[in-house]
Amino acid sequence: MLLLAPYILVFLVFVLYPVSYGLWLARNPESYRTLFEDPIFFTTVVNTVFFLLVAVNLKFVLALYLSGFFVHDKRWIRWLSVIFILPWAMPAIPTVFSIRFMFNPEWGVVNQTIFRLTGLDGPNWLTNPDLAMAMAILVHIWKALPFWTLILMAGRLAIPKDLYEAASVDGATAWQKFRYVTWPSLKTLYITSTLLSLIWTLGDFNSVYLLTGGQPADKTHVLATLGIRYIRLDQLDHAMATIVVALPFVLPLVWFMMKRLSGDEQKTS
Amino acid sequence: MMKLLAAAVLAAFCSVSFAQETLVVYWTKGFYPQEDKALDDMVAKFEKKTGVKVELSRYSPQESVPKAVAALDSGTPPDVAYGDVFDFQVAGKWAAEGRLEDLSDILTPMKAQFLPVTLDTVYLLNEKTKKRGYYAFPMKRQTMHIQYWKDMLAEAGFKESDIPKTWNAYWDFWCTKAQAGYRKASGKRIFSVGAPMGVDSSDSFYSFLTFMDAYNVKVVDNNGKLTVDSPAVKKGLVATVRDYAHTVDKGCTPPTAVTWKDPDNNVAFHNKQIMMTHNATISIASKWLDDMNSDKLTAEQRAQAKKNYYELIATAGFPMKPDGKPMQYRSAVKVGVIFNNAKNKKRAKEFVRFAMQDENLTPYVEGALGRWYPVTKAGASRPFWTEDPHRKIVHAQFSAGTVPFEFTKNWKFTILNNENVWAKAVNRVIVDKWTPEKAVDEMVARIKQVAG
Repeated sequence: MLLLAPYILVFLVFVLYPVSYGLWLARNPESYRTLFEDPIFFTTVVNTVFFLLVAVNLKFVLALYLSGFFVHDKRWIRWLSVIFILPWAMPAIPTVFSIRFMFNPEWGVVNQTIFRLTGLDGPNWLTNPDLAMAMAILVHIWKALPFWTLILMAGRLAIPKDLYEAASVDGATAWQKFRYVTWPSLKTLYITSTLLSLIWTLGDFNSVYLLTGGQPADKTHVLATLGIRYIRLDQLDHAMATIVVALPFVLPLVWFMMKRLSGDEQKTS
Repeated sequence: MMKLLAAAVLAAFCSVSFAQETLVVYWTKGFYPQEDKALDDMVAKFEKKTGVKVELSRYSPQESVPKAVAALDSGTPPDVAYGDVFDFQVAGKWAAEGRLEDLSDILTPMKAQFLPVTLDTVYLLNEKTKKRGYYAFPMKRQTMHIQYWKDMLAEAGFKESDIPKTWNAYWDFWCTKAQAGYRKASGKRIFSVGAPMGVDSSDSFYSFLTFMDAYNVKVVDNNGKLTVDSPAVKKGLVATVRDYAHTVDKGCTPPTAVTWKDPDNNVAFHNKQIMMTHNATISIASKWLDDMNSDKLTAEQRAQAKKNYYELIATAGFPMKPDGKPMQYRSAVKVGVIFNNAKNKKRAKEFVRFAMQDENLTPYVEGALGRWYPVTKAGASRPFWTEDPHRKIVHAQFSAGTVPFEFTKNWKFTILNNENVWAKAVNRVIVDKWTPEKAVDEMVARIKQVAG
């Protein structure tokens, strides 16, 4: 019991107390009424669902594809993988800001180039709400893709080579090898990673806030960034209520993931 | 053993009784090193005088409200808090909620020293006691100016004397003639009018409200009662929204203006992406004054900065209002507060009283190089305000008399400013392609819901 004490203390101070305090701040039912009446909240929920579904699925399909490319044992691919991993390895603030500057509709390098080449104004990348949301999704994918590609690469490398050799002997095509060897071996990892990514993406503040700041007109907020808006408006109770409202999204995901992990553990033991 | 124990007890006692008294102060970070240095000097003088250790934390203007809110809600507010946006975003609300300490004992004896309008902003209503009092302390003021590049105007083929003085002709000149002339001469894709429109910005609502003043729109009367149901007010609001959003439709305001935060029109101006902008201080010109004296820059850079400040950038007031009469500017008074659950209120009041003395306040205000205007008559009468090409315009604008913001009559306008219902309406027209009438209907509904 004495050995457990430091862990219990850390849990109490850094988990139980902040969570309880947050729930206490969000205790007023009136906060939820006004939150649900705020049209920006509704837009934010729609944005969050869209962001999660598109960003996570697109990211994992790409990661699955790229992991197949990066496992090839070639010198130039190894070098390329080093470059590929940079967006994930670099801190979020300078990388996302650099994208924000590149896509600034007036003086960003992208629209300046379009103007120089065609004499036309480029798209309003970050001031059109739909385009800005798409850009935030792209930034999220660009930043997180290397990590999940690495995870799936590790999964692919763990698949015994004999299975592929046997499939080749049987005359299997590349698609058949993927369908009957790779996918069954990767499926558990893929689904668990997707669940974990859903949880992390729900809390992704940087991709949206650093790129669009929730603008224009608070139309590109997701639940992770909306709290900051309410704090700026001196409405801490609404900020906390926003987080509480996100719990029905998060908790089933956590429960489902933990169940999968414990199920996997039981299978392996 | 007993001696050792006694020594330990004595040491513990001494550490308690001689622990230095502290004062926690939150302050907005200055734009210029001189401003921060003046505050540091003031703090050092206070520490020397009282022996109190001042724990000073500086935050950006945008951070100052969230930091104070977080500290307040966690039960550990600073003893003194000053924020550049407290006046029009939170002070009235905090006073109404009974969260602020009454500073009448500091300000009432000083009343005669302040310029008109200044104390109106800090004479706030406490809804718990149903009484008004001085619940904040005024430090400095600001109003709206126009800044433009004279060299860009010349390259466009115009002189300063070509700029019209009447409202519509003035904006048309920048939007059509000046922009087209400059684009043709330089081949650069620049914009003429830097109109701040971001929802997360105080510049945008200050600019919008100045346009509202130009249309003589008063949404609240002197008793704090809303007037938004009046057809004349509604008509004026529609005209204001239409006029303010118009420059984007015409392609003379950068599309990103709808996402601009407070520094963004400054940045666009310095980069010569825009020819002119309206700004609630002369920080744009003052940046070059700061640069021309900076030892971190090369001699060439300092020379260019000097040229920008004295020759290439102009500070001006607004054109005549649409009715042909001169503008009367609204002035904001930048305030600080003492929360009534602050731990060291006695020293906090002492600090505020000390900071309000002209010998301490003046170096701090002037450290901002003209960005802020004084709150006291003594501060405004100094040659600092008349011996400089930019500051003398500011001085003239203030000297002509200013009017206060709506929130001085109805504190709930701080909530509306904070939400920025003004920029939101403009965004509805630009981003959502609503008609100004529809955007104003939504704005009025929200104003009535919050402040009615």
